[in-house]
Order: sequence, then C-alpha cells, then structure tokens
Amino acid sequence: MPKLKLEMEVNGRKVSRETEPYKRLLDFLRDDLNLTGTKEGCGAGECGTCSVFVDGKLVKSCLMPAAKAAGATVETIEGMAKPGDLTPVQKAFHKTGASQCGYCIPGMVMAATSALRENPGAGIEEIKERLGGNICRCTGYTKIFEAVEIARDVIAGDLPETVLEEDAVQDTYIGANVRRLDAPSKVSGRLKYAADMKMHDMLQMQVLRSPHPHARIVSIDTCAAEAMEGVACVITSDDVPGKDGYGVFVHDQPTMATGKVRYVGEAVAAVAAEDLVTARRALAAIKVEYEELPGLFTPQDALKPGAPVIHDYAQDNLVKHIPVRKGDVAAGFEEADLILEDDFSTQQVEHAYLEPEAGIAYVDPDDVVVVISPSQNITHHRHMLAEIIDKPINKVRFIMSPVGGGFGGKEDMIYQGMLAIGAMKTHRPIQLNFTREESIIASAKRHPSKVHYKMGLTNAGRITAIEFSMLSDGGAYGMSSEGVMRKAAILSCGPYEVHNLKVDTTAVYTNNTPSGAFRTFGGMQAQFATESMMDMAAEALNMDPFEIRRVNMMKIGSRTHTQQELTTASLGRVMDAAQEASRWETGAPNVRGPLRGDLNGPDTRQPCTLGARFQGDGLDGGDKGKKENVA
Amino acid sequence: MSATRKLRGRGIAASWYGIARTATIDRAGAWAEIDDGGTGKIVTGVTEIGEGILTVLAQIAADEMGIKPDDVTIGDNDTARSPEAAHAGATRQTYMIGNSVALASRQARSVLFDEIADFWDVEVGTLKAFDGELWAANTNLKMSMSDAVATCKARGVVPLGSASFTAHGTGLDPVDGSGSPWQAYVFGTQIAEVEVDTYTGEIQVLGIWAAHDVGRAINPRGVEGQIEGGVVQGLGQALMEDYRTENGHTTTHGFAKYILPTSLDIPQINCTIIEDPDPLSPLQAKGIGEPALVPTAPAIMNAIYDAIGVRIKSLPATPEKILQALRDRDAAKRKEIA
Repeated sequence: MPKLKLEMEVNGRKVSRETEPYKRLLDFLRDDLNLTGTKEGCGAGECGTCSVFVDGKLVKSCLMPAAKAAGATVETIEGMAKPGDLTPVQKAFHKTGASQCGYCIPGMVMAATSALRENPGAGIEEIKERLGGNICRCTGYTKIFEAVEIARDVIAGDLPETVLEEDAVQDTYIGANVRRLDAPSKVSGRLKYAADMKMHDMLQMQVLRSPHPHARIVSIDTCAAEAMEGVACVITSDDVPGKDGYGVFVHDQPTMATGKVRYVGEAVAAVAAEDLVTARRALAAIKVEYEELPGLFTPQDALKPGAPVIHDYAQDNLVKHIPVRKGDVAAGFEEADLILEDDFSTQQVEHAYLEPEAGIAYVDPDDVVVVISPSQNITHHRHMLAEIIDKPINKVRFIMSPVGGGFGGKEDMIYQGMLAIGAMKTHRPIQLNFTREESIIASAKRHPSKVHYKMGLTNAGRITAIEFSMLSDGGAYGMSSEGVMRKAAILSCGPYEVHNLKVDTTAVYTNNTPSGAFRTFGGMQAQFATESMMDMAAEALNMDPFEIRRVNMMKIGSRTHTQQELTTASLGRVMDAAQEASRWETGAPNVRGPLRGDLNGPDTRQPCTLGARFQGDGLDGGDKGKKENVA
Repeated sequence: MSATRKLRGRGIAASWYGIARTATIDRAGAWAEIDDGGTGKIVTGVTEIGEGILTVLAQIAADEMGIKPDDVTIGDNDTARSPEAAHAGATRQTYMIGNSVALASRQARSVLFDEIADFWDVEVGTLKAFDGELWAANTNLKMSMSDAVATCKARGVVPLGSASFTAHGTGLDPVDGSGSPWQAYVFGTQIAEVEVDTYTGEIQVLGIWAAHDVGRAINPRGVEGQIEGGVVQGLGQALMEDYRTENGHTTTHGFAKYILPTSLDIPQINCTIIEDPDPLSPLQAKGIGEPALVPTAPAIMNAIYDAIGVRIKSLPATPEKILQALRDRDAAKRKEIA
C-alpha cells in the first residue's frame, strides 16, 4: 500500500511523516508520534478518551482520518503544559481527586480545557453540558465538576493559585486529604497503560472468536493463515503445552475453545503477526468448521430435565447452589400478621471500564514467561498460567500494568494465556489490545438475577420469617459465579436480624455471555429485592421506612443470617446520619412525594432539559449560569 | 405544561457488606525499608485499580515511618519481585494491605528507633517521628530522618520490616450455611430524590445522600470519590444500563447501544462518612469500594414509588418501563372505579 506524506503542527512542533493512508488521527498520534496520552476507549466517538484539539476545536481523534488533519494545528494532552509542569485545569484535577483509574482523564482534561476556552465564565450547568461527550466510569464525575469550577476561578483570578496546593497537615497523615500520588502522571497523559507500551521487535496479536453460542468444532484449518507473509504464529488449543483450564473458582474455561464453543465471542484461535493489519487478514484466512448445537439462553431452560449439557462435568448445568438456613421458617410465618410475596429481577451489566483489555507477553533471557497486563489478580493468574504452560511458578512472572478501571471485570484471565503461548512459540514480545466491541462480547458481566421473595412481619414491623430464592444466569463459564452466589446468599436478607430464614442462591450455565465478578459480587442484586420489600412492608404497615428498618436492624450481639454474632454494628449511627443529612420528613412510603416538604433543597441539583444549558454565547450567559449556581 | 407532569419523590435503602475475602482466611504481605534521604520504600503485591490505594498506603507508611507520603515509593505489583498481597477486589485492599504495610513500616521504624535510642542513650519509648523529623520527647535531641537513616546504617544496620496481615473468615456449612464469613462488616444508607416526567417516563435523580461506615477514613476525599463513583454506577444500573443478548448474540455492542451515565445524569451527591473503628486491626479502617453502590438502585426505585405510585421490580427503570407501569396503574384505577 503506498504511503501518505503527512505534515502538521503538533504541540507547537512541525511534524512530517510517511504513514499508511488508512490511519485515523488517533493512530497517527499514538503509533507514529508516540503521543500515547490520547487513549482509545471505544473507537466510535462515544467515550471521549481520544479527545484532542484540531485547529482549536475539540475533536474525537478516532473519528478523524489522519489525512484530514494534514496542515492543521493539533494539540494533545502532552502539549497542554511544558514537560514537568501542569496547567491550572490539570492541577485542579490533582487537587480534587478527579482522576481515579485515569484512563478517561486526558480526554476529560481536554474537554474541560475546551469548555473554559469556549467560555471562561461557564457556569456549572454549562460545564456539565460541555463534558457530556466524555464518559468516566470511576469518579461519578463529581470531583471532576469541582476541579473544573476551581480551575475556572483560578484562571479568572477569582481564586488564588494557592487553592491548588496540598492542604496543610497537622500531626498525622491518617485522615488527611493527601493528593493522589499518581494524579500528575494521569492528568498529563504520561502514565503508560498496557496498550501504550511498545517493545522492540514486538508482534501484534488478534483473536478469532466464535460466531456461535453453542457448537462443536469439527475442524480448524490454519494453513493459509500460517503461510501468510508477516505472520509469526497461529495458535489454537492444540498449542497449549500443559493442563488447560482457568477460572476464579472452577477451572472450566480453556485458553482457546477446545472441542466446542460455548458462547458468542469465545476465543477459538489467535494470530501473532508483524502488524495489526496482517494479523487481522490472517484471522480471515483461518477456516473453522462448526456443527451447531442447541443452545440454552435462560437459566430456567438450563434447569429443565433433558436440557442440552454445556459442560460434561455438570450434567445438570448447575454452577453452584448456596443454601442458608436459620430457625424455623414455617413457625416464623405462623407468627406473622402480614405476609408479602413478590418477584424481582436485575439485568446483566457491563463493567465498561474505559480501558479495554490489553497486554504484552515475552520470554526473558532466563526463560521466564512474562505477562504484563492490567489484571486485578495477577497472583492467581500466575498459578493458573503455570499449569497451562507447564512451567514452575518461578518461571512465570506477571507484572501489573496500570489498570484503567476494573470493577471486577479484570479478574478473569481471558487473554493472558494466548499471549504467553504466542510468546513461547515465537520468542518475541507480543501485544494484544482488545477493541471495545471485543471487550464487550468476550468479558464477563454482572450476574442477572431473578429473586422470589416471601417476608412475614408482625403489625409492629418485626420480620418473623423470610424465604429468599435467587436464580442467576452464570453464562457459558463458571468464572466467579460460585463466589457471587455465596456472597448474595450471605447478604441476602439485608442488615436485619431475622430469626427464621431459608435462603437459596443458584447459578447455572447457559450459552450467554459469561457472568462474573462485578463490584458488590451479588450483594446489590440481593439487597435490591430486600430493600424494595422493606418499603412495601412499611407502606402496608403505615410505618416510616427508617422506623421499620430500625425495628429490625442488626445491632451488637445480633446473629447474622449465617449465625455469626456481631461484635460491632454501625447501622443505627449510619441511618441517623443519613436521615439528618437529608432532612428526611417522617411518614409512610405511600406515594406522598407530591406532598413532601423536604424536596428541592440546596443539596439537590436542578432538573435539566437537554440543550437548555448554553445560556447564549459569551460571558453574559456564563455569568448568569455561575450566579445561578451560587444562589 | 400540566402541573402534575413532573412529580418528585424520595426513597431510602439501607445495606451491609463484608470486608475482604468471603468465607475464607485472607492474607496480605508487605516489605518496608526506611531508605536513604529519609525516604520510604514499600514493596507489596498491591493493585491500584483507580481507587487510590497507592496514596492510602503511602499515607499509612509515612505515618508509621515519620516521613512524608510524597517521600514513599511503592513498587508496582510484580509476582517475581513483590510479596503476595492477593487481589484487588472484595473491598479488601485498604483493610488487608493497609494493615500489612502499617505493620511492616512499624517494624522498620522500630529497628531505626532502637539504633537511634542507643546512639542518643535515651529510652526508645521517648522517640517520636513525623514528617521527616525524629526527636526524643522532653529533650533537645532531634535529627532529620535522613540523618537518622545515615546514623543507623553507619552502625551497620539497615532499617527493614516485613509483615503479613491475616483476616479470619470461616467457610460456610454446606447444609445450613452457618459460618463467620468476615471479621469486619460495614453498613450504609442512601436516600434518593427523583423527578419523574410522567409524559416521557424519564427519571432524573436530583440528590443522593449517602452515609457509609468505613471504620476510619485514611483519605476522606478518596472515600468520597469511591462513594460518588459507586452511586453513579448504581444509578446506571437503576435507570439505563442493560446488556442484552438474543439467542446468545449481544445486541449492545458498543456505547451507542449500551447506555452509561454521563455528566448530565449526575445528582448532587452528599456524602457522610461514619467512623466505627474496626477493633480487630491496627489501622481500624474497613473499606468502601463495593458497599457504596449497594443501596443506590433500591433507594431510587423507592423514590420513584414515592413520586408516582408505581413499583419497578425489574431493573433498569427505563422510560418505556415507567410509561407502561403508569398505563397499567391507570387502567387498574379505572377498573376499580368501574
């Protein structure tokens, strides 16, 4: 392919490069100029991590062909301040703790800088609107808003620059708002995540994924792919040197599909080649013959007698059932004045960390297989990989790269095995960077749940018995399902002392995208049902929702659902604090919203209508927005 | 616009959570050295996933060693170079690794203090160190930590420490589930204030009040950051996020189909940090990462009910679901009247 000569001004310097004509501005900045502060989060203009200025305008560099920027003036995060220095916006992000994982932050800093360049007096509502194209998954945006407002006021001279400095500390650092030590590297784009790293002589890996939810693999023909120029290796499950299988609780997942595929997106084969384009072309040359098998797509179907079997070891498709029993449930319901029974469900949820999975593997001079990846559990990964590649533990080394968000989704070892095997076959460093689409179909999700709930109470609001049963779709592999079911069962009936209970949580295999670890590990699904029931009971008994919870709450000396005696318990204090902070108006939860007197306080935001926040252009509108915010 | 088009309500939810690995023993190791120039070096298998654990550990090490957090270096996690501290999850890093780093740093300080006490000929119990200075109480004896390390090394001793911290959980009985899965529990309560547009079904969450027990807040701003992030993930699950498949094929391939909260969806989040100290660990801190999002979705659903009298039992409460629920409610009312 003929190359294209590109000239532009980047961060104040003229650059001139010959490059491939298909490159996006994002690729040109990252690959040709090594400006890796600009991140790729989605490749579709939806997340904003790749935001840069082109001729002064904020653009998403994943949507702009590099050739279109020819002759333009481009500013990236690296060009915001002189090396070693930070702009007021960056310093304010540092001060408020606006960066957590940091992956969205270069783009967020660019958007915030753009907002204040467009309107130096922008009010908070306008700032929010102008940041609307940049997704952050960690911070809840609140500290980012605070940072942009502080930066605005410092730039305008309304606040002294000293507000950007560290708070003074008295006689201990415990309890002090010490600024994050890693923030300067994140707000400046200097921190290298796995996809930003380059090694000499490095190959690029791509993965062939299953197009079927459940199918037998009849044959895989890799000959044509292997023969292609630039291809260093093609690997399948036949190349696994040791005992294959990984998972957090049960090692039921092969490094690459073995004999059959169990979900759409499962890895079937992988290619390592001199560059990404060659690797992708080679994938297209791999021929896989499948024989489709009947699939299971609901947990109810998976439990039916005669249902297709997904894993040979689990003929009943059961991943895990956790029972918790306490007291006498029948007697408890006998005591009840009121019995409520209902069903609740929650959906599958994507972690949506802004950093897609990425990693590098190489074999070091001492024959140690090294994997660099943003994983949440490299200690466990090295144990599993040692078995898979048949090496002693000290010949397997995992190095954690900065994690661009995890939330449980980076506990599973879904690609590190392929990287390691590729590196062992080629003795060259290999990098694999997932696309967003690949991350979404291949990685685990939050367990969806269906809960059947029965609660008995006295007229005084005392819970006499609970029956709780949860059925959850574990998807194609076990991953963290067992632990999620255990935690859901332990926490199920909420922070209340219940003397009689019967709790069952069950996860089953299906041919859906696997479910795995996700922040709360089953705790939120279970307590969503419990907390809904508590309010329904409060309405039926005409009690304030705090009151019914206080009647039942765990205290020091209470026995939990698993019969552990608590030696500390803070719920009373916590509820008092929440009630006071929210200025809660006491009353039963009987649709009294329209009559409440505690609404619309100074500690709420105003509702918004999309697009209504730009209050004209220029300073007048901005000042108006600012004044409204102050008022 | 009708005065009853947009209706507001409030709801609460309480919650609880266990700290560190569930229904098993948990452990974490760390090495500490008080290094040249009065700096600190911590090596542990910690995984910074964005929550700010490196800063928390630097604060803990600085406090124990008597130096500044900025002067603490923490090596990245590397299975061939760092002692095991296990995984980033289960709301365990501050509790497990924090205590491990505190104990290792304390040991390194103790080595240093023994040498300096001998050098000054004072009781070791009179020595104090903070922010780069070391002194003996009720004397004029004082030196920088930099000089203290040089003195210690000149006497032939490198001030080192190592520690392993254990949390004693037990497994669950396979029949009745009885057991003590954690040694530390936290509790939380959140209140949500919402506005429901009854014409479009759209929900706006305008305020969240979040009170959480964290044991002891090492870095209060970091705790707030965890609460705010947790609340917004809870809000996403409550109102919009929905990973969908049809016969195993996803229909939500990217962020155009998989809807996430953006800056325009964010309520004012009012955090209250409660400190009920953990009696079983030297730091007395517990954790906040996961617990922060547990009560958000039910608080929002309870608030929606308060506003419009429809109870959403199936997440997420999308506009379509709200409108359908309102239609069902009105149909039921008409039936009652008829």
